[in-house]
Amino acid sequence: MKPGWLRPPPGAYWLCAALALVIALASFVSHRNTSYREREEARALAAARAVAAGTARSPHMIAGGLVSSAESSPRYPFLRRRTVDGRPLGGPGAPADDKLVYDAAQRAASGGAAVELADADGARLIAALPQPGGAVAVALVQPPAGPESLPIFLLLGLLALGAALASLPGAPFLALGGATLAVPTWWWGGPAASLAIAALAIAFAAARHHGLLARAAGELRRQRVAYTFVAPAGLAMLVLVAVPFAVGLVLGFYDHRHGTYTFVGLDNFIQILSGGGHALSDPLNFYFTLGVTILWTAANVVLHLAIGVALALVLRQTWLGGRGIYRVLFILPWAIPNYITALIWNGMFQSEYGAINGILSSLGLERVSWFSDFATSFTANVCANTWLGFPFMMVVALGALESIPRDMHEASEVDGASAWQRFIHITLPHLRPALAPAVVLGAIWTFNMFNVIYLVSDGQPGGATDILVTQAYRWAFERGERYGLAAAYATIIFLILLAWTLVGTRLTRKERAA
Amino acid sequence: MSRRAPRWWLRLVVHVGLSLAAAVVLYPVLLVLKKAFEPGQSFALSPSPVPGEVTLDHFRSLFAATGAGGEPLFLRYALNSALVALGTTVVGMALATSAAYALSRFRFRGRQLGLTAFLAVQMFPATLLLMPLYVLLDRLGLLSSLVGLILVYATTAIPFCVWTLKGYFDSLPRELEEAARMDGASAWGVFFRVVLPLARPGLAVTALFSFMTAWNEFILASTFLTDESSYTLPVLLKSAVGEYSAQWGTFAAGAILTSLPVMGLFYVLQKYLVGGLTAGSVKG
Repeated sequence: MKPGWLRPPPGAYWLCAALALVIALASFVSHRNTSYREREEARALAAARAVAAGTARSPHMIAGGLVSSAESSPRYPFLRRRTVDGRPLGGPGAPADDKLVYDAAQRAASGGAAVELADADGARLIAALPQPGGAVAVALVQPPAGPESLPIFLLLGLLALGAALASLPGAPFLALGGATLAVPTWWWGGPAASLAIAALAIAFAAARHHGLLARAAGELRRQRVAYTFVAPAGLAMLVLVAVPFAVGLVLGFYDHRHGTYTFVGLDNFIQILSGGGHALSDPLNFYFTLGVTILWTAANVVLHLAIGVALALVLRQTWLGGRGIYRVLFILPWAIPNYITALIWNGMFQSEYGAINGILSSLGLERVSWFSDFATSFTANVCANTWLGFPFMMVVALGALESIPRDMHEASEVDGASAWQRFIHITLPHLRPALAPAVVLGAIWTFNMFNVIYLVSDGQPGGATDILVTQAYRWAFERGERYGLAAAYATIIFLILLAWTLVGTRLTRKERAA
Repeated sequence: MSRRAPRWWLRLVVHVGLSLAAAVVLYPVLLVLKKAFEPGQSFALSPSPVPGEVTLDHFRSLFAATGAGGEPLFLRYALNSALVALGTTVVGMALATSAAYALSRFRFRGRQLGLTAFLAVQMFPATLLLMPLYVLLDRLGLLSSLVGLILVYATTAIPFCVWTLKGYFDSLPRELEEAARMDGASAWGVFFRVVLPLARPGLAVTALFSFMTAWNEFILASTFLTDESSYTLPVLLKSAVGEYSAQWGTFAAGAILTSLPVMGLFYVLQKYLVGGLTAGSVKG
């Protein structure tokens, strides 16, 4: 039997090592960027302090100096000028970096000392220290060297050591071998990354010990044709959906302000779920929007169902002439792109020139300012969405009604059942199985109906008619880039939808079983 | 259903009721048609759907509007919309077809999970993923590019294509495939040479639906396309009725031009859409 250290390490080790390498690289890169930034910011601040103190200037400083306070020009007292090191700052013929220096001086004068990146994609930093007397010491610094390079040999060496350890028989050695990369990540990524790698190694060792990995590999080999068929779509979904979803989930635990992310734990969730310090009648309170969303969904689904089923029942009557024409007409709202519909209805509900008010006034009634009051604004949204949504229910109901055997109706008529009894005992039970999934789907579509709310009422008055999805959008894009809060909001909406879907599928399953 | 038709006055009442409903349904559409042909950019005071004067000015100004480089803006935006819709369809169909076939024909561990996952992704709103996708695309530098938008649309296009095509493959008889397997063809060989040619109608319908959905998409386009030259038609239409200068005439003309092609497509395809939805749910 070959000695342990001559045997190659098991396949499980390579998989574990690959994943550990990814984590280690990620933690190294983020550590490198942070320490680079900190080091260079310290350098820029030191350069600014040298300017303020009047000592020898830093060799890395490429622009800046002592910027005077804004003094009035002698000829035009209402014009103020700053000078740097005696010469006027900016103006024609001045160096290009003067603008950066000027901006930094202005910001520091009002906001206090600051160090930040001078260009969005460059490497220069600019530090500004306000001085007594209104002057500002500004230093634009070009870092001397780039960030540290990847310690590739260290990583490969550790992986080789890990391979040697893992080739020894026994699960503990596999775990030890996989965990070798946890050592450097302790410095780079802190305890989180190290623990992640260690946990990964232990998990792989345990899985191998219980034969899980062998079974999974066997399954993969047996079904490899099926898996290759599914692979393109599966990989695309992983990259396009799973990754952003995970990013969104994690972002919810951070706060994003002015370009920096700070870890705040559950703060965002607590802030949202506690109402955020707003009264219950304030649209910014989560529960207000939740209530509006539930009311919106219920009202729409009820209306769509009632109108759709009623029209379907009428259109099924064989004695009715022109059924084909009516059917084509009633599907029209479904055929038009729904954002165009929403914009049209917004135009119709305008208080000054809208068609609805035009009709009201031509009937002698008073014009209504639709978007300035919650009830009327909500009604406008519901009208637009109902116009949009009843065709779907109607078509589903028509399809379901077609499946009802005609002889059932005739037989019950012969037996003396009235039209109403026939409806209750024959039509309705046949409609339910087809309508149940349509109602679940319709409820979810209505719950998520962004376009109608955003384009018809735009949340007016004051965000009161906003539903959960539009609020999430506004938190992300219209309220100062609060990405962390928006991500937490989106996660909460996702959980609500998940709960509803589980309940909904359980309901439809009961319907089908019944 | 009674064989005897009800009395004439009942039939009249029903017809009147249906006509009223049809009028309500038609009214907004007629208003837009009227606004497209009437001069002036604001809605007229009269709510009647018949235009007072008829002019083609709005259509003319829509085509005449030029961008910075002198290129016709409307055609540029239409081209953008078409490219994005075409790209989404190609990407969606290319990636989804084989997966749909596997989910329909093969039994493998994780099949049920895959089915549920593809269904679930469709049910959750794109707006939930909007913000992480925005941050990610920003990092990748794909923010105002059509390629970035196609990637974003693919998030819902792929599950939709998988689910619809799976339903369609379910309805195809297996005899031809089994015969080909017995003749020694590999699984992929059967897929490309036997199944795909047979499935052309279903593939065409799914592709057209994908195209329509991408053509009509508004909120993702308006969020991700920050650069004016890469706008698609929905973004153009929304910008025409911005808060301060609502140009309803231009909007109406653009709306008609944008929605006519897809409306025609929709009427042709709508029976397949509902068939898929109800058949899948009732059969289970």
